[in-house]
Amino acid sequence: MDANVVEHAAAAGAKYHDLAWMVLAAPLICGVGSWFLTRRLRGLTAGFNIAGVLLSFLLGVVLLSIAGDHPVLATPFHWLPVPGLDFSIGLQVDRLSTLMSLVVTGVGALVMIYSTGYMKDDGSYSRFFCTLSLFVFSMLGIVLADNLVMLFVFWELVGVSSYLLIGFWHQRPAAGDAAKKAFLTNRLGDFGFMLGILVVWASTGTVSLTELSAKFAVEPGLMGSMAGIAGLLVFLGAMGKSAQFPLHVWLPDAMEGPTPVSALIHAATMVAAGVYMLCRVFFLYTVPAGWPAWLGFMGDVGAGTIIGMIGGFTALLAALIAVQQNDIKRILAYSTLSQLGYMVMAVGLGAQAGTPASGMFHLVTHAFFKAMLFLGAGSVIHACHHEQDIWKMGGLRKRMPITFWTFLIGTAALAGLPPFSGFYSKDEILVTALETCPPLFVVAVVVAILTTFYMSRLVLVAFFGEARSDSASHAHESPRNMTWPLLVLAVPSVGIAWLPVGEFIGSIFGSHGHGAAEVVAAESAIGLGPLLERMSGGINHALFGPFNHNTLAATFGLFAVLLGGSLAWACYGRGGADPLPRLLGGWARVLRNRFYFDEIYSGLVIPVHDAAAWVADWIDRWLIAGLGIRGLAGSVELVGRALRLVQSGNLQTYTFVFAAGLAVVAWFILR
Amino acid sequence: MTLTSSLLLTPLATALLVLLVPGNYRFVIRALSLLGGLVTAVLGVVLFCRFDPAGAPYQFESLVNWVSSPTLRIQYHVGVDGIAAAMLLVTALVGFSALAVSWEIERQTKLFHVLLLVMIGGALGAFASLDLFFFYFFNELALVPTFIMIGVWGTGENRNRAAFKITMYLTAGAMVGLIGLIGLYSASGAGSLDLVELQKQVAQTPISPAAQAFIFPCLLFGFGTLVGLWPFHTWAPLGYASAPTATAMMHAGILKKAGLFVILRAALPLLPEGVKFWMPILAVLCVGNLLHCGFVALRQKDINLLIGNSSLAHMGFAFLGIASVSVIGLSGAVLVMVSHALLAALSFALSGWLRIQTGTTDMARMGGLLQRMPFIGSVLVLCFMAGCGVPGFANFAGELSVLFGAWKTMPWLVVAAAWGGLVIGGVYMLRALRSILHGDLRTELKGVIDAPGMWRRLPFVILAGGLLLFGIFPGLVTARIQPSIQRIAEAARPAVPAEVPPATALVVP
Repeated sequence: MDANVVEHAAAAGAKYHDLAWMVLAAPLICGVGSWFLTRRLRGLTAGFNIAGVLLSFLLGVVLLSIAGDHPVLATPFHWLPVPGLDFSIGLQVDRLSTLMSLVVTGVGALVMIYSTGYMKDDGSYSRFFCTLSLFVFSMLGIVLADNLVMLFVFWELVGVSSYLLIGFWHQRPAAGDAAKKAFLTNRLGDFGFMLGILVVWASTGTVSLTELSAKFAVEPGLMGSMAGIAGLLVFLGAMGKSAQFPLHVWLPDAMEGPTPVSALIHAATMVAAGVYMLCRVFFLYTVPAGWPAWLGFMGDVGAGTIIGMIGGFTALLAALIAVQQNDIKRILAYSTLSQLGYMVMAVGLGAQAGTPASGMFHLVTHAFFKAMLFLGAGSVIHACHHEQDIWKMGGLRKRMPITFWTFLIGTAALAGLPPFSGFYSKDEILVTALETCPPLFVVAVVVAILTTFYMSRLVLVAFFGEARSDSASHAHESPRNMTWPLLVLAVPSVGIAWLPVGEFIGSIFGSHGHGAAEVVAAESAIGLGPLLERMSGGINHALFGPFNHNTLAATFGLFAVLLGGSLAWACYGRGGADPLPRLLGGWARVLRNRFYFDEIYSGLVIPVHDAAAWVADWIDRWLIAGLGIRGLAGSVELVGRALRLVQSGNLQTYTFVFAAGLAVVAWFILR
Repeated sequence: MTLTSSLLLTPLATALLVLLVPGNYRFVIRALSLLGGLVTAVLGVVLFCRFDPAGAPYQFESLVNWVSSPTLRIQYHVGVDGIAAAMLLVTALVGFSALAVSWEIERQTKLFHVLLLVMIGGALGAFASLDLFFFYFFNELALVPTFIMIGVWGTGENRNRAAFKITMYLTAGAMVGLIGLIGLYSASGAGSLDLVELQKQVAQTPISPAAQAFIFPCLLFGFGTLVGLWPFHTWAPLGYASAPTATAMMHAGILKKAGLFVILRAALPLLPEGVKFWMPILAVLCVGNLLHCGFVALRQKDINLLIGNSSLAHMGFAFLGIASVSVIGLSGAVLVMVSHALLAALSFALSGWLRIQTGTTDMARMGGLLQRMPFIGSVLVLCFMAGCGVPGFANFAGELSVLFGAWKTMPWLVVAAAWGGLVIGGVYMLRALRSILHGDLRTELKGVIDAPGMWRRLPFVILAGGLLLFGIFPGLVTARIQPSIQRIAEAARPAVPAEVPPATALVVP
């Protein structure tokens, strides 16, 4: 980069940093402001909050077209100034963060509009919108953070606002439990994240993302033997938020929250935060593997590989569980888990390939179609009077056409059927896996088969055949403010991959995955305008790109969809009961009970903590308090009793004691 | 009269005025006390804002000689540095809030308010005093009403045992601390317990290592007991569980910090040899606070016992910051002191409201209360979130600095602290929120009400607002305390170079 460009970038940075702050602040101002001012006017409150998020979205678009290649670093606010520890709140607006902020605010705004219909009859309508705004604000903080501590601050705030949203219906005991579980599971991850930040800070002396990536670019071995541990500790944070095994248990329970919440935070944003964060601190994973002596056996295996394995395992585990779930939201929840595992696997394996682009690409496409699926599920639930069991639905295809068609598009995208968006991003992940770790490629293909299978099962059972209950037979299409967001979301679910989004994301990380010519082209594409120009010529190329690029991966991807789809058709195409329990026997029960993870945790982990608590309490009661204070108190009391014997009030005794005392004194003197 | 003197004399003078009012004029008593508390709070805010970190080390000083023989000079010497300014501010705010929630006291209202005002005045005096003799005097002046208040207005069947236990522990702790102070007086040869003179004297001729080795533990454990240093902590939860709301707020919020305050300002800079020997031991003991007390809190079913134990766990962070003897860690310790003052007071104010409304402190007998008390419930969520270290609240800033300050020298203790603060703290706070606020409302609790009107809500707003303010702008505190912290850190670690080499590798035993 020559000096002119740097100067230009600096000037642009100075010029637009107010804009960048507004992206972050708009949802907060509208949320807090409307809570204090217009809480009692429901419509106005909803309007304010939607306006805030929309404004943030539009400003994000402006920033993307202006800032493009050159990061805008907004002037930091010195939050905690202590000598040797100047933590600040600053924004790093580059292509990665702007892209992600568009995903967050775009989906956020649509979910809010949808909620005006879905939450219409709720008594706490205003509270819902204000909390959503708070959530969007926290999420944008993660996205735009320019240092690790600020990332952690907003990371925690996302945890809090998701706690408030999951437990939104606080009168429901299950919602309270789910909110608590989500927060605490995330806390476990945050514990590791905090330690990871400390390790990075101690060995590099900074927490700023820009400085860190600059330092690692100059000296990759900076972390030395702590590189692996730091990487894994930071990944623990992502593990909590992105619900990776073994911290995955909170996500399915979190479906207790209102469905729009599930669409926003459990599809597009909060759970994606972990993957986004891994992309943000990707420089931690490209450094040479290093382990302290006691972990020497790890050898050259970097943190990235372990992350990839955990991701792959989570993807497989969740996909298996999803096959035997009957609650429409839970199926989607496990599918989210599985797709997150996919992304995490891609980012982890990307450490070897030098780019996490495939994971990030899948994050973007997944955010749109999964949000749409959740909103579609919400529309179904709304129409069936809060029935969530797919076996009590059926025949909704004719009664809810818009919901059906958008849901079908989402399913196709999620399954990875060309030309829907999911096919392209999934294909990139398959390519990454094939090039770096063939066993995980096999896992990924199996997961793809399972994905198509359970999604087809869901669609066939819920939308086809005959209505299986009263509420399903009386269902009718949802109001317009709920169907419009579905239609809008359908557009990117179909076509986002036709734009050169994949290459755009690849260029963010200086990708080598896609062929050098494309990367150079994408890198020269600064901002939106040129991107749109390229689009017209590129559709044809974009549509069939995967087959030209890596035929094996693309063919396997397509094969997985076809196999999964035909299996599902064979099992569920003719209606009737679920044949799987008969075919799988005991395994079906294991899958239905989610491999008994909740039972294992509540049977093992929690009792260990409770036992420690019991011991500590016992020590407090009996050792410290008992022997210490009671011993002391006892001796004082004993002396008191002895003295009480002396103070009998009997004049003769007093005279006797007095005389005896006198005698003793006299004896001392006269001796 | 300087600002400092007027600040600490206002509540004491108000106490005298209240004494003159006949006991059955409850409204006059309340109004007068609240007015005195309000003036105190305003003065505290003014003092904090007007304190100039770039100015003299001690500002708003006043000095009156009391005893002046050649061998012993005792002076009424008050003045504030940044640490004192911050503590005086929160003391004034918590004092006012404690007065504001005391409408619940219906028996012997006058005596209660007089005692509470004396307590506030004593606490302010302790933080303002530069003469350690007067520090001790004011601290006792604030402590003695505690014992009486628990005994007379306390609740629960354990209150006599609690009053007895808290008296025993705190008197014993204060006695040991006094021995340390007397040792300091005789070993330094300054002929005075005036902090400024002591510092001057010690700078020229340090106290002999042998004397330091004796004095330091007396101060550390004596005043540490007042803070609830493990294993001298069991008085605290029991005492708070039985104390009337205002007393618990003042004691857990403010008086506890006096022990930390004197360790920070006297023991650390005057006794560097003692620091060298005893700080590693303190570091180990504070794990007792962080983990042991956290685990005990997990077991509690009574909300007051839960808050009491969690506040002990928070004190572990303050101790860890002090034990790190680094500028970052010490700044964190002061931030923890400031934030925990507000947090503990807010927690007890809330639990007091819940106790009056539900007639119980057993969390299992509450539930679904958010349906009936949106305001109190929301503040409770804020408060407990602050308590488990969520960013945006002052506690997070303090705990974060402590973790960073202690990491380079004691990484494994920081791991324990992070586990205690993030995970264990999260578990008991969230469990409590779940059982108090969520779920079905029990039939016998249909009659509970939310805090009505502005005046009842004011104390909660002040305390929660303070937590948010210092959480979002912790720089307000750190900028003011920096000069004193630098001085203390330099004096406490004269031999060690400023930059400690980073511990890049976790050493496994």
